[in-house]
Amino acid sequence: MANMKFYCDAERCIECNACVTACKNEHEIPWGVNRRRVVTIKDGEAGERSLSVACMHCSDAPCAAVCPVDCFYTTDDGIVLHDKDICIGCGYCFYACPFGAPQFPESGAFSSRGKMDKCTFCAGGPVETHSSDEYRKYGANRIAEGKLPLCAEMCSTHALLAGDADVVSDIYRKRVVNRGRSALDWGVNYQKGSLNLPGK
Amino acid sequence: MIKTCHLGINGGIGQAILLLMLSLAMLLITPSTQAEPPQPSSAALGTTTDSRSAHSNVPFAAAVINPGSGLWREVRQRGGPIEGITQVSGTDAGILISTRGEEWRQLRTEKVIPYSGYLLAVVLAVLVLFRLIRGQLKIHAGRSGMRILRFTYSQRAVHWVAGITFVILGITGVVLLLGRTLLIPVMGNSAFGVIASFSKTVHDYLGPVFVISLVFLFIYYVKDNFFKLKDIQWFAKGGGMFGGHAHAGRFNAGEKTWFWLAILLGIVVSVTGLVLDFPIFGLDRETMELSLLIHGIAAIIVFGISFGHMYLATVGMEGALESMTTGYCDANWAKEHHDDWYEEVKDTAEPAPSEDSPTHGSPGQASPSGA
Repeated sequence: MANMKFYCDAERCIECNACVTACKNEHEIPWGVNRRRVVTIKDGEAGERSLSVACMHCSDAPCAAVCPVDCFYTTDDGIVLHDKDICIGCGYCFYACPFGAPQFPESGAFSSRGKMDKCTFCAGGPVETHSSDEYRKYGANRIAEGKLPLCAEMCSTHALLAGDADVVSDIYRKRVVNRGRSALDWGVNYQKGSLNLPGK
Repeated sequence: MIKTCHLGINGGIGQAILLLMLSLAMLLITPSTQAEPPQPSSAALGTTTDSRSAHSNVPFAAAVINPGSGLWREVRQRGGPIEGITQVSGTDAGILISTRGEEWRQLRTEKVIPYSGYLLAVVLAVLVLFRLIRGQLKIHAGRSGMRILRFTYSQRAVHWVAGITFVILGITGVVLLLGRTLLIPVMGNSAFGVIASFSKTVHDYLGPVFVISLVFLFIYYVKDNFFKLKDIQWFAKGGGMFGGHAHAGRFNAGEKTWFWLAILLGIVVSVTGLVLDFPIFGLDRETMELSLLIHGIAAIIVFGISFGHMYLATVGMEGALESMTTGYCDANWAKEHHDDWYEEVKDTAEPAPSEDSPTHGSPGQASPSGA
Protein backbone atom coordinates (compact mmCIF):
# COMPACT_ATOMS: atom_id res chain seq x y z
CA MET A 1 0.00 0.00 0.00
CA ALA A 2 1.04 3.47 -0.69
CA ASN A 3 1.98 6.03 1.91
CA MET A 4 0.46 9.22 0.59
CA LYS A 5 2.28 12.49 1.18
CA PHE A 6 2.29 16.08 0.00
CA TYR A 7 5.48 17.95 -0.70
CA CYS A 8 5.75 21.58 -1.72
CA ASP A 9 8.90 22.61 -3.56
CA ALA A 10 9.73 26.06 -2.18
CA GLU A 11 11.94 26.81 -5.21
CA ARG A 12 9.00 26.38 -7.57
CA CYS A 13 5.96 27.74 -5.74
CA ILE A 14 5.05 31.13 -7.21
CA GLU A 15 2.24 31.95 -4.77
CA CYS A 16 -0.44 31.85 -7.46
CA ASN A 17 -2.98 30.33 -5.04
CA ALA A 18 -4.42 28.13 -7.79
CA CYS A 19 -4.21 25.10 -5.46
CA VAL A 20 -6.33 26.98 -2.92
CA THR A 21 -8.91 27.87 -5.53
CA ALA A 22 -8.94 24.41 -7.08
CA CYS A 23 -9.47 22.81 -3.67
CA LYS A 24 -12.30 25.17 -2.74
CA ASN A 25 -14.04 24.58 -6.05
CA GLU A 26 -13.54 20.82 -6.28
CA HIS A 27 -15.03 20.17 -2.85
CA GLU A 28 -17.50 23.09 -2.69
CA ILE A 29 -15.95 24.16 0.61
CA PRO A 30 -18.06 26.64 2.58
CA TRP A 31 -17.14 30.26 3.20
CA GLY A 32 -14.51 30.77 5.88
CA VAL A 33 -13.04 27.28 5.51
CA ASN A 34 -9.75 26.75 3.67
CA ARG A 35 -8.37 23.27 3.46
CA ARG A 36 -5.26 24.59 1.74
CA ARG A 37 -3.45 27.91 1.90
CA VAL A 38 -0.27 29.44 0.54
CA VAL A 39 2.03 31.18 3.01
CA THR A 40 4.85 33.47 1.93
CA ILE A 41 7.87 33.87 4.20
CA LYS A 42 9.96 37.06 4.01
CA ASP A 43 7.55 38.66 1.58
CA GLY A 44 9.39 41.30 -0.48
CA GLU A 45 12.78 40.54 1.05
CA ALA A 46 15.76 38.57 -0.18
CA GLY A 47 15.12 34.89 0.36
CA GLU A 48 11.35 35.16 -0.12
CA ARG A 49 9.77 31.73 -0.46
CA SER A 50 6.19 30.52 -0.69
CA LEU A 51 4.80 27.21 0.47
CA SER A 52 1.41 25.65 -0.05
CA VAL A 53 0.22 23.93 3.11
CA ALA A 54 -2.71 21.71 4.04
CA CYS A 55 -3.15 18.60 6.15
CA MET A 56 0.14 16.73 5.86
CA HIS A 57 -1.42 13.37 6.74
CA CYS A 58 1.05 12.72 9.55
CA SER A 59 2.06 9.21 10.50
CA ASP A 60 1.63 10.01 14.20
CA ALA A 61 -1.15 12.54 13.77
CA PRO A 62 -1.44 14.94 16.75
CA CYS A 63 -5.08 15.65 15.87
CA ALA A 64 -5.95 11.98 16.29
CA ALA A 65 -4.05 11.85 19.58
CA VAL A 66 -5.96 14.71 21.22
CA CYS A 67 -9.44 14.13 19.72
CA PRO A 68 -11.76 13.56 22.71
CA VAL A 69 -14.15 11.47 20.62
CA ASP A 70 -11.47 9.54 18.68
CA CYS A 71 -12.99 10.35 15.28
CA PHE A 72 -9.75 10.19 13.25
CA TYR A 73 -8.48 7.18 11.36
CA THR A 74 -5.69 6.48 8.89
CA THR A 75 -6.53 4.71 5.64
CA ASP A 76 -4.41 1.94 4.11
CA ASP A 77 -2.92 4.64 1.88
CA GLY A 78 -1.67 6.58 4.90
CA ILE A 79 -4.33 9.28 4.52
CA VAL A 80 -5.65 10.77 7.77
CA LEU A 81 -9.43 11.15 7.64
CA HIS A 82 -12.10 11.87 10.23
CA ASP A 83 -15.76 11.06 10.83
CA LYS A 84 -17.94 14.17 10.84
CA ASP A 85 -20.83 12.24 12.36
CA ILE A 86 -18.74 11.79 15.51
CA CYS A 87 -16.84 15.12 15.52
CA ILE A 88 -18.15 17.53 18.18
CA GLY A 89 -16.33 20.67 16.99
CA CYS A 90 -14.24 21.15 20.14
CA GLY A 91 -11.22 22.51 18.25
CA TYR A 92 -8.58 20.44 20.06
CA CYS A 93 -7.24 19.10 16.74
CA PHE A 94 -6.69 22.69 15.64
CA TYR A 95 -4.67 23.39 18.80
CA ALA A 96 -2.51 20.29 18.35
CA CYS A 97 -1.96 20.45 14.58
CA PRO A 98 1.37 22.11 13.67
CA PHE A 99 0.08 23.08 10.21
CA GLY A 100 -3.22 24.71 11.17
CA ALA A 101 -5.02 22.25 8.91
CA PRO A 102 -8.30 21.68 10.82
CA GLN A 103 -10.90 24.30 9.89
CA PHE A 104 -14.25 25.04 11.48
CA PRO A 105 -17.32 26.55 9.85
CA GLU A 106 -19.26 28.82 12.19
CA SER A 107 -22.47 27.28 13.42
CA GLY A 108 -25.12 27.68 16.08
CA ALA A 109 -26.60 30.69 17.82
CA PHE A 110 -23.26 32.00 19.10
CA SER A 111 -21.12 31.16 16.07
CA SER A 112 -19.33 28.36 17.85
CA ARG A 113 -17.39 25.76 15.93
CA GLY A 114 -19.22 23.40 13.62
CA LYS A 115 -17.93 20.01 12.50
CA MET A 116 -14.25 20.13 11.68
CA ASP A 117 -13.28 20.19 8.01
CA LYS A 118 -9.85 19.49 6.62
CA CYS A 119 -7.98 18.23 3.57
CA THR A 120 -8.95 14.64 2.77
CA PHE A 121 -6.21 14.11 0.16
CA CYS A 122 -9.26 14.05 -2.14
CA ALA A 123 -10.17 10.70 -0.59
CA GLY A 124 -13.71 11.42 0.64
CA GLY A 125 -14.70 10.10 4.02
CA PRO A 126 -16.14 7.18 6.00
CA VAL A 127 -19.44 7.00 4.13
CA GLU A 128 -20.45 5.29 0.89
CA THR A 129 -17.97 6.21 -1.85
CA HIS A 130 -19.30 8.71 -4.41
CA SER A 131 -22.58 9.13 -2.50
CA SER A 132 -24.12 12.58 -2.21
CA ASP A 133 -23.62 12.25 1.54
CA GLU A 134 -19.89 11.85 1.02
CA TYR A 135 -19.67 14.80 -1.33
CA ARG A 136 -21.66 17.06 1.01
CA LYS A 137 -19.61 16.20 4.09
CA TYR A 138 -16.13 15.50 2.76
CA GLY A 139 -16.02 16.62 -0.88
CA ALA A 140 -14.95 14.74 -3.98
CA ASN A 141 -13.33 11.31 -3.80
CA ARG A 142 -10.68 11.44 -6.53
CA ILE A 143 -8.55 8.72 -4.97
CA ALA A 144 -11.40 6.23 -5.55
CA GLU A 145 -11.32 7.28 -9.23
CA GLY A 146 -7.60 6.61 -9.40
CA LYS A 147 -6.70 10.29 -9.45
CA LEU A 148 -4.41 12.29 -7.21
CA PRO A 149 -5.42 15.43 -5.27
CA LEU A 150 -6.50 18.18 -7.65
CA CYS A 151 -4.32 20.87 -6.03
CA ALA A 152 -1.16 18.95 -6.95
CA GLU A 153 -2.42 17.69 -10.30
CA MET A 154 -3.09 21.17 -11.61
CA CYS A 155 -0.12 22.99 -10.05
CA SER A 156 1.29 24.92 -13.00
CA THR A 157 4.91 24.91 -11.81
CA HIS A 158 4.69 21.38 -10.41
CA ALA A 159 5.74 22.81 -7.06
CA LEU A 160 3.10 20.89 -5.17
CA LEU A 161 3.69 17.15 -5.34
CA ALA A 162 1.24 14.55 -4.06
CA GLY A 163 1.37 10.80 -4.08
CA ASP A 164 3.26 7.88 -2.64
CA ALA A 165 6.09 9.17 -0.44
CA ASP A 166 8.71 7.13 -2.34
CA VAL A 167 7.67 8.53 -5.71
CA VAL A 168 7.42 12.10 -4.40
CA SER A 169 10.87 11.93 -2.84
CA ASP A 170 12.33 10.40 -6.02
CA ILE A 171 10.99 13.31 -8.06
CA TYR A 172 12.28 15.84 -5.60
CA ARG A 173 15.68 14.17 -5.30
CA LYS A 174 16.13 14.30 -9.08
CA ARG A 175 15.19 17.95 -9.05
CA VAL A 176 17.74 18.77 -6.38
CA VAL A 177 20.49 16.91 -8.22
CA ASN A 178 19.75 18.53 -11.58
CA ARG A 179 19.18 21.91 -10.05
CA GLY A 180 22.61 22.02 -8.43
CA ARG A 181 23.66 24.15 -5.54
CA SER A 182 22.85 27.36 -7.37
CA ALA A 183 19.13 26.82 -6.95
CA LEU A 184 19.11 28.33 -3.50
CA ASP A 185 21.06 31.25 -4.84
CA TRP A 186 18.45 32.39 -7.32
CA GLY A 187 17.85 36.09 -7.03
CA VAL A 188 21.15 36.70 -5.27
CA ASN A 189 24.00 38.67 -6.81
CA TYR A 190 27.40 38.18 -5.25
CA GLN A 191 29.06 41.07 -7.09
CA LYS A 192 30.62 43.70 -4.91
CA GLY A 193 28.26 46.58 -4.27
CA SER A 194 25.20 44.71 -5.48
CA LEU A 195 21.88 45.93 -4.13
CA ASN A 196 20.67 42.35 -3.77
CA LEU A 197 23.30 41.41 -1.28
CA PRO A 198 21.87 40.26 2.01
CA GLY A 199 22.77 42.32 5.02
CA LYS A 200 23.04 45.57 3.10
CA MET B 1 46.09 23.35 20.13
CA ILE B 2 42.79 21.59 20.53
CA LYS B 3 43.65 19.46 17.51
CA THR B 4 46.88 18.17 18.95
CA CYS B 5 45.15 16.82 22.01
CA HIS B 6 43.26 14.35 19.88
CA LEU B 7 45.94 13.43 17.35
CA GLY B 8 46.87 10.35 19.31
CA ILE B 9 43.46 8.78 19.03
CA ASN B 10 43.30 6.17 16.29
CA GLY B 11 40.42 4.73 14.31
CA GLY B 12 37.05 6.12 13.16
CA ILE B 13 36.07 7.74 16.45
CA GLY B 14 39.34 9.62 16.58
CA GLN B 15 38.84 10.89 13.04
CA ALA B 16 35.29 11.92 13.79
CA ILE B 17 36.38 13.88 16.84
CA LEU B 18 39.18 15.43 14.78
CA LEU B 19 36.64 16.56 12.16
CA LEU B 20 34.43 17.94 14.89
CA MET B 21 37.33 19.88 16.35
CA LEU B 22 38.28 21.17 12.91
CA SER B 23 34.77 22.46 12.33
CA LEU B 24 34.75 24.02 15.79
CA ALA B 25 38.03 25.70 15.00
CA MET B 26 36.48 26.98 11.76
CA LEU B 27 33.61 28.46 13.72
CA LEU B 28 36.08 30.15 16.04
CA ILE B 29 38.12 31.59 13.17
CA THR B 30 35.15 32.87 11.17
CA PRO B 31 33.97 35.72 13.42
CA SER B 32 37.49 36.82 14.28
CA THR B 33 38.50 37.23 10.61
CA GLN B 34 35.27 39.03 9.84
CA ALA B 35 35.82 41.43 12.70
CA GLU B 36 39.27 42.39 11.47
CA PRO B 37 38.36 44.91 8.73
CA PRO B 38 38.13 48.56 9.83
CA GLN B 39 34.33 48.90 9.33
CA PRO B 40 33.01 45.78 11.05
CA SER B 41 29.29 46.44 10.54
CA SER B 42 29.34 46.67 6.77
CA ALA B 43 32.45 44.67 6.19
CA ALA B 44 31.15 41.37 7.53
CA LEU B 45 29.28 40.57 4.34
CA GLY B 46 29.89 43.57 2.12
CA THR B 47 33.53 43.12 1.20
CA THR B 48 33.03 39.84 -0.54
CA THR B 49 36.48 39.44 -2.04
CA ASP B 50 38.26 40.17 1.22
CA SER B 51 36.30 37.65 3.24
CA ARG B 52 36.70 35.05 0.50
CA SER B 53 40.45 35.35 0.59
CA ALA B 54 40.34 35.07 4.34
CA HIS B 55 38.42 31.82 4.01
CA SER B 56 40.46 30.37 1.18
CA ASN B 57 42.15 27.89 3.50
CA VAL B 58 38.76 26.64 4.79
CA PRO B 59 37.23 24.42 2.11
CA PHE B 60 33.49 24.43 2.96
CA ALA B 61 32.90 27.88 4.38
CA ALA B 62 30.45 29.95 2.33
CA ALA B 63 31.52 33.50 1.75
CA VAL B 64 27.99 34.85 1.66
CA ILE B 65 25.05 33.56 3.65
CA ASN B 66 22.34 32.53 1.23
CA PRO B 67 19.14 34.44 1.99
CA GLY B 68 17.04 31.37 1.23
CA SER B 69 19.10 28.93 3.26
CA GLY B 70 17.32 29.74 6.50
CA LEU B 71 13.90 28.87 5.05
CA TRP B 72 13.22 25.65 6.94
CA ARG B 73 14.76 27.02 10.09
CA GLU B 74 12.29 29.88 9.87
CA VAL B 75 9.38 27.63 8.94
CA ARG B 76 10.09 25.53 12.04
CA GLN B 77 10.28 28.77 14.05
CA ARG B 78 13.69 27.88 15.49
CA GLY B 79 14.64 31.53 15.81
CA GLY B 80 11.35 32.64 17.33
CA PRO B 81 7.86 33.08 15.91
CA ILE B 82 7.66 34.18 12.30
CA GLU B 83 4.43 34.99 10.57
CA GLY B 84 4.18 34.91 6.81
CA ILE B 85 1.81 36.54 4.37
CA THR B 86 -1.21 34.63 3.12
CA GLN B 87 -4.29 35.39 1.06
CA VAL B 88 -6.36 33.11 3.28
CA SER B 89 -7.97 34.75 6.28
CA GLY B 90 -8.30 32.76 9.45
CA THR B 91 -6.82 32.26 12.90
CA ASP B 92 -3.03 31.93 12.70
CA ALA B 93 -3.26 31.45 8.91
CA GLY B 94 0.13 33.08 8.39
CA ILE B 95 1.94 30.56 10.58
CA LEU B 96 3.22 27.60 8.58
CA ILE B 97 4.24 25.42 11.50
CA SER B 98 3.13 26.00 15.08
CA THR B 99 5.56 24.39 17.47
CA ARG B 100 3.48 24.78 20.64
CA GLY B 101 0.82 22.27 19.68
CA GLU B 102 3.05 19.30 20.41
CA GLU B 103 3.85 20.52 23.94
CA TRP B 104 0.15 21.05 24.52
CA ARG B 105 -0.65 17.59 23.23
CA GLN B 106 1.87 15.95 25.55
CA LEU B 107 0.74 17.94 28.60
CA ARG B 108 -2.87 17.10 27.92
CA THR B 109 -2.64 13.43 27.01
CA GLU B 110 0.19 12.44 29.34
CA LYS B 111 -0.44 14.66 32.37
CA VAL B 112 -3.83 16.37 32.60
CA ILE B 113 -6.03 13.45 31.51
CA PRO B 114 -4.45 10.64 33.58
CA TYR B 115 -3.86 12.72 36.70
CA SER B 116 -7.42 14.07 36.56
CA GLY B 117 -8.67 10.51 36.58
CA TYR B 118 -6.41 9.58 39.50
CA LEU B 119 -7.49 12.65 41.47
CA LEU B 120 -11.20 11.86 41.16
CA ALA B 121 -10.57 8.19 41.96
CA VAL B 122 -8.55 9.07 45.07
CA VAL B 123 -11.21 11.51 46.30
CA LEU B 124 -13.95 8.92 45.83
CA ALA B 125 -11.86 6.26 47.55
CA VAL B 126 -11.20 8.56 50.52
CA LEU B 127 -14.91 9.31 50.86
CA VAL B 128 -15.85 5.61 50.70
CA LEU B 129 -13.18 4.85 53.29
CA PHE B 130 -14.43 7.68 55.49
CA ARG B 131 -17.97 6.37 55.22
CA LEU B 132 -16.89 2.85 56.13
CA ILE B 133 -14.90 4.02 59.15
CA ARG B 134 -17.11 6.78 60.52
CA GLY B 135 -20.52 6.00 59.07
CA GLN B 136 -23.07 8.81 58.98
CA LEU B 137 -22.29 11.65 61.36
CA LYS B 138 -25.33 11.68 63.65
CA ILE B 139 -26.86 14.41 65.79
CA HIS B 140 -25.64 13.04 69.12
CA ALA B 141 -28.38 14.60 71.22
CA GLY B 142 -31.08 13.57 68.76
CA ARG B 143 -33.53 15.95 67.12
CA SER B 144 -34.71 18.68 69.40
CA GLY B 145 -38.04 19.41 67.73
CA MET B 146 -36.96 23.04 67.44
CA ARG B 147 -35.74 24.54 64.20
CA ILE B 148 -33.65 27.59 63.32
CA LEU B 149 -33.69 29.52 60.05
CA ARG B 150 -30.28 29.00 58.44
CA PHE B 151 -30.67 29.96 54.76
CA THR B 152 -33.24 32.34 53.28
CA TYR B 153 -35.11 31.53 50.09
CA SER B 154 -32.86 33.74 47.96
CA GLN B 155 -29.70 32.27 49.52
CA ARG B 156 -30.91 28.78 48.74
CA ALA B 157 -31.92 29.77 45.21
CA VAL B 158 -28.45 31.19 44.53
CA HIS B 159 -26.82 28.09 46.02
CA TRP B 160 -28.86 25.68 43.93
CA VAL B 161 -28.48 27.55 40.64
CA ALA B 162 -24.71 27.59 41.17
CA GLY B 163 -24.66 24.06 42.56
CA ILE B 164 -26.77 22.39 39.90
CA THR B 165 -24.99 24.13 37.01
CA PHE B 166 -21.68 23.25 38.70
CA VAL B 167 -22.54 19.55 38.88
CA ILE B 168 -23.81 19.44 35.28
CA LEU B 169 -20.73 21.31 34.06
CA GLY B 170 -18.54 18.97 36.09
CA ILE B 171 -20.12 15.81 34.71
CA THR B 172 -20.14 17.02 31.09
CA GLY B 173 -16.57 18.27 31.50
CA VAL B 174 -15.39 14.94 32.86
CA VAL B 175 -17.17 13.18 29.99
CA LEU B 176 -15.18 15.31 27.53
CA LEU B 177 -11.92 14.91 29.47
CA LEU B 178 -11.98 11.23 30.34
CA GLY B 179 -14.59 9.84 27.94
CA ARG B 180 -12.10 8.66 25.36
CA THR B 181 -10.18 6.72 28.02
CA LEU B 182 -13.12 5.36 30.01
CA LEU B 183 -16.26 5.39 27.87
CA ILE B 184 -15.16 4.68 24.27
CA PRO B 185 -13.80 1.22 25.16
CA VAL B 186 -17.21 0.43 26.65
CA MET B 187 -19.64 1.90 24.13
CA GLY B 188 -17.62 2.59 20.98
CA ASN B 189 -16.95 6.02 19.52
CA SER B 190 -20.19 6.39 17.54
CA ALA B 191 -22.38 6.15 20.65
CA PHE B 192 -19.91 8.19 22.65
CA GLY B 193 -19.93 10.85 19.90
CA VAL B 194 -23.62 11.47 20.62
CA ILE B 195 -22.98 11.80 24.37
CA ALA B 196 -19.91 13.96 23.81
CA SER B 197 -21.73 16.23 21.37
CA PHE B 198 -24.57 16.67 23.88
CA SER B 199 -22.07 17.23 26.69
CA LYS B 200 -20.18 19.88 24.74
CA THR B 201 -23.35 21.78 23.83
CA VAL B 202 -24.62 21.71 27.42
CA HIS B 203 -21.17 22.64 28.75
CA ASP B 204 -20.85 25.57 26.34
CA TYR B 205 -24.30 27.01 27.02
CA LEU B 206 -24.42 26.41 30.77
CA GLY B 207 -20.95 27.83 31.41
CA PRO B 208 -22.00 31.50 31.27
CA VAL B 209 -24.95 30.72 33.59
CA PHE B 210 -22.47 29.39 36.13
CA VAL B 211 -20.30 32.49 35.76
CA ILE B 212 -23.26 34.71 36.65
CA SER B 213 -24.35 32.45 39.51
CA LEU B 214 -20.80 32.52 40.87
CA VAL B 215 -21.02 36.30 41.19
CA PHE B 216 -24.27 36.01 43.13
CA LEU B 217 -22.88 33.16 45.24
CA PHE B 218 -20.03 35.43 46.27
CA ILE B 219 -22.32 38.37 47.10
CA TYR B 220 -24.77 36.26 49.09
CA TYR B 221 -22.28 34.19 51.09
CA VAL B 222 -19.11 36.26 51.51
CA LYS B 223 -20.31 38.02 54.69
CA ASP B 224 -19.98 35.03 57.04
CA ASN B 225 -17.07 33.43 55.21
CA PHE B 226 -14.24 35.75 56.25
CA PHE B 227 -11.65 33.84 58.23
CA LYS B 228 -11.40 34.67 61.92
CA LEU B 229 -8.67 33.95 64.46
CA LYS B 230 -10.61 31.14 66.11
CA ASP B 231 -10.67 29.28 62.78
CA ILE B 232 -7.06 28.30 63.51
CA GLN B 233 -8.34 26.31 66.50
CA TRP B 234 -10.87 24.61 64.25
CA PHE B 235 -8.10 23.51 61.91
CA ALA B 236 -5.91 22.45 64.85
CA LYS B 237 -8.70 20.17 66.11
CA GLY B 238 -9.27 18.80 62.60
CA GLY B 239 -12.80 20.16 62.64
CA GLY B 240 -13.73 17.76 65.41
CA MET B 241 -13.52 14.88 62.97
CA PHE B 242 -11.13 12.95 65.22
CA GLY B 243 -12.84 13.49 68.53
CA GLY B 244 -13.12 16.62 70.63
CA HIS B 245 -15.22 19.60 69.73
CA ALA B 246 -14.25 22.43 67.42
CA HIS B 247 -16.08 25.70 67.94
CA ALA B 248 -17.54 27.29 64.82
CA GLY B 249 -19.65 30.25 63.82
CA ARG B 250 -22.28 30.20 61.08
CA PHE B 251 -19.73 28.59 58.80
CA ASN B 252 -16.85 26.54 60.13
CA ALA B 253 -13.31 26.97 58.85
CA GLY B 254 -13.66 23.98 56.51
CA GLU B 255 -16.72 25.50 54.90
CA LYS B 256 -14.94 28.82 54.61
CA THR B 257 -11.99 27.14 52.89
CA TRP B 258 -14.37 25.47 50.48
CA PHE B 259 -16.10 28.79 49.83
CA TRP B 260 -12.86 30.60 48.96
CA LEU B 261 -11.49 27.71 46.91
CA ALA B 262 -14.76 27.50 45.01
CA ILE B 263 -14.78 31.25 44.38
CA LEU B 264 -11.11 31.57 43.39
CA LEU B 265 -10.92 28.42 41.29
CA GLY B 266 -14.38 29.32 39.97
CA ILE B 267 -13.03 32.65 38.72
CA VAL B 268 -10.09 30.91 37.02
CA VAL B 269 -12.40 28.35 35.42
CA SER B 270 -14.86 31.08 34.40
CA VAL B 271 -12.30 33.32 32.71
CA THR B 272 -10.61 30.48 30.82
CA GLY B 273 -13.99 28.97 30.03
CA LEU B 274 -15.28 32.19 28.48
CA VAL B 275 -12.12 32.36 26.35
CA LEU B 276 -12.80 28.84 25.09
CA ASP B 277 -16.50 29.49 24.66
CA PHE B 278 -16.05 32.16 22.00
CA PRO B 279 -13.66 31.07 19.26
CA ILE B 280 -15.20 33.70 16.96
CA PHE B 281 -13.02 36.42 18.46
CA GLY B 282 -10.00 35.03 16.63
CA LEU B 283 -7.84 34.32 19.66
CA ASP B 284 -4.66 32.54 18.62
CA ARG B 285 -3.96 28.90 19.30
CA GLU B 286 -1.50 29.53 22.13
CA THR B 287 -4.11 31.44 24.13
CA MET B 288 -6.63 28.67 23.56
CA GLU B 289 -4.14 25.92 24.44
CA LEU B 290 -3.14 27.66 27.67
CA SER B 291 -6.76 28.37 28.56
CA LEU B 292 -7.73 24.75 28.03
CA LEU B 293 -4.88 23.48 30.22
CA ILE B 294 -5.65 25.90 33.07
CA HIS B 295 -9.39 25.32 32.68
CA GLY B 296 -8.99 21.56 32.95
CA ILE B 297 -6.59 21.59 35.91
CA ALA B 298 -8.53 24.18 37.95
CA ALA B 299 -11.87 22.55 37.16
CA ILE B 300 -10.81 19.04 38.11
CA ILE B 301 -9.40 20.30 41.43
CA VAL B 302 -12.55 22.23 42.34
CA PHE B 303 -14.74 19.34 41.16
CA GLY B 304 -12.74 16.88 43.25
CA ILE B 305 -13.04 19.02 46.38
CA SER B 306 -16.75 19.49 45.74
CA PHE B 307 -17.24 15.74 46.23
CA GLY B 308 -16.30 16.24 49.88
CA HIS B 309 -18.77 19.11 50.25
CA MET B 310 -21.52 17.19 48.46
CA TYR B 311 -20.99 14.07 50.57
CA LEU B 312 -20.91 15.84 53.93
CA ALA B 313 -23.86 18.07 53.09
CA THR B 314 -26.13 15.24 51.95
CA VAL B 315 -25.81 11.65 53.11
CA GLY B 316 -22.65 12.12 55.15
CA MET B 317 -24.16 14.08 58.03
CA GLU B 318 -27.56 13.82 59.62
CA GLY B 319 -29.51 17.09 59.53
CA ALA B 320 -27.17 18.92 57.14
CA LEU B 321 -29.13 18.84 53.88
CA GLU B 322 -32.41 20.17 55.27
CA SER B 323 -31.03 23.64 55.92
CA MET B 324 -30.36 24.04 52.20
CA THR B 325 -33.67 22.48 51.12
CA THR B 326 -36.17 23.77 53.71
CA GLY B 327 -34.05 26.64 54.97
CA TYR B 328 -34.22 25.40 58.57
CA CYS B 329 -31.81 23.33 60.60
CA ASP B 330 -32.47 21.47 63.81
CA ALA B 331 -31.49 23.36 66.96
CA ASN B 332 -29.42 20.47 68.25
CA TRP B 333 -27.61 20.16 64.94
CA ALA B 334 -26.75 23.87 65.15
CA LYS B 335 -25.58 23.45 68.75
CA GLU B 336 -23.29 20.56 67.84
CA HIS B 337 -21.80 21.87 64.60
CA HIS B 338 -22.03 25.67 64.79
CA ASP B 339 -22.14 26.40 68.53
CA ASP B 340 -21.02 30.03 68.34
CA TRP B 341 -23.65 30.76 65.71
CA TYR B 342 -26.25 28.87 67.79
CA GLU B 343 -25.56 31.15 70.75
CA GLU B 344 -26.31 34.14 68.53
CA VAL B 345 -29.54 32.87 67.03
CA LYS B 346 -30.98 30.43 69.59
CA ASP B 347 -33.73 32.93 70.44
CA THR B 348 -35.12 32.57 66.90
CA ALA B 349 -35.72 28.85 67.35
CA GLU B 350 -39.28 27.82 66.68
CA PRO B 351 -41.12 24.51 66.99
CA ALA B 352 -40.64 22.33 63.94
CA PRO B 353 -43.84 21.21 62.20
CA SER B 354 -44.59 17.54 62.82
CA GLU B 355 -43.23 15.21 60.19
CA ASP B 356 -46.72 14.16 59.09
CA SER B 357 -47.79 17.58 57.94
CA PRO B 358 -45.96 18.88 54.87
CA THR B 359 -43.94 22.00 55.51
CA HIS B 360 -45.54 24.84 53.65
CA GLY B 361 -44.67 28.44 53.42
CA SER B 362 -41.54 30.42 52.86
CA PRO B 363 -39.16 30.72 55.78
CA GLY B 364 -39.20 34.46 55.37
CA GLN B 365 -36.59 36.88 54.15
CA ALA B 366 -35.00 37.87 57.46
CA SER B 367 -31.27 37.38 57.69
CA PRO B 368 -30.66 34.19 59.67
CA SER B 369 -27.25 35.22 60.86
CA GLY B 370 -28.83 37.11 63.74
CA ALA B 371 -26.97 40.27 62.85
